[in-house]
Amino acid sequence: MKILAVDTSASPVSAALLNDGFLAGEFYLNTKTTHSQTLMPLIEQLLKMTDTSLDQIDIFAVNSGPGSFTGVRIGVSSIKGMTMPLNKRCASVSTLEAMAYSMPYTDGIVCAVMDARCSQVYNAIFRLDNGSVERVTEDKAMSIAELENELSYYEECNIYLVGDGADICYKAFGENLPTVYLTPQNIRYQHAYGTAKAAEKMAEQNKLVSSDELMPFYLRLPQAERELRAKQQKENK
Amino acid sequence: MQKIISSSEQHTEQIACAFAESLRGDEIIALYGDLGAGKTAFTRGLARGLGINDGVSSPTFALVHEYEGKYKLYHFDMYRINSFDDLYSTGFFDYSGNGVLIIEWSENIEEFLPDERINIMLRHLSENEREITIEGAEQYENSCS
Repeated sequence: MKILAVDTSASPVSAALLNDGFLAGEFYLNTKTTHSQTLMPLIEQLLKMTDTSLDQIDIFAVNSGPGSFTGVRIGVSSIKGMTMPLNKRCASVSTLEAMAYSMPYTDGIVCAVMDARCSQVYNAIFRLDNGSVERVTEDKAMSIAELENELSYYEECNIYLVGDGADICYKAFGENLPTVYLTPQNIRYQHAYGTAKAAEKMAEQNKLVSSDELMPFYLRLPQAERELRAKQQKENK
Repeated sequence: MQKIISSSEQHTEQIACAFAESLRGDEIIALYGDLGAGKTAFTRGLARGLGINDGVSSPTFALVHEYEGKYKLYHFDMYRINSFDDLYSTGFFDYSGNGVLIIEWSENIEEFLPDERINIMLRHLSENEREITIEGAEQYENSCS
């Protein structure tokens, strides 16, 4: 089974090819270039270098959110475009889950956290146990302070921070959470490899979708939520 | 903080053009001022200072215009942006850090702007004269009078 996975959900861009569970190739860039300009050449080169044609791919996987507004749209629409004429199955992968799948080499808690600006983060918590990834919380948007509070329940475990929000959270938590660790750069940010591994699991669980069903997935931020409630209250008066 | 008196639209452009030289390339510049205060003129001058000679107009409908110069320049108009969701869907947060962001009608999104930014207030003094106040650019003091 061949899985082509892509990630454009935040600042990095990557594409990976998984061949029967084996990572045959992966391209990763984290520069300030625009994903709409880099993603397609990356995929093209990856397929060329691994001597693979598009119609040989069984599953097309993409981090469909949470993430940056345009980034998520670039990834999802690219995969939609490739799968529609070929009528192939897609895996709509949570960016946060993909990050957890990049590092199941240890035991403990993985907190995947993305910077959503204005002191807000997207996050989900996973438990790693002997190579398996188990989801503990749903993908959520919250303030850094709320996340600190939530993580205090897992203090008996080692907590590993991944994602582009890891750094700001690590600094914000400080001494309050002594069992929190910042992961090294090569596994801290989202990689298409993690997306492909998550897609492999989704295929086992029959959670793949059609090209039509593949959609971007956004989480509403607490700040926007508060705004909306205030507006509704005003209208109801 | 710095206050400069501009005597005309052309003068506002010159002030902005000189101000552009002090930029590092990743600033967020919030413009404040009523209609006709010179927000677009300031942006035009700033663009020229970055070596951009394309016609600069207010992106009221497009929400953002992009220019390539010494640095990338993203010119936003937040006149029609009224909520965080609106702002998010302009891709505003995807742009920051990748170039100079200059924002007209910053009033509408003030609470979502980072504290680390440059504020530029343009105020009518008379038909042609404007008072330009530059805040948060202390490192550039004396560089653009």
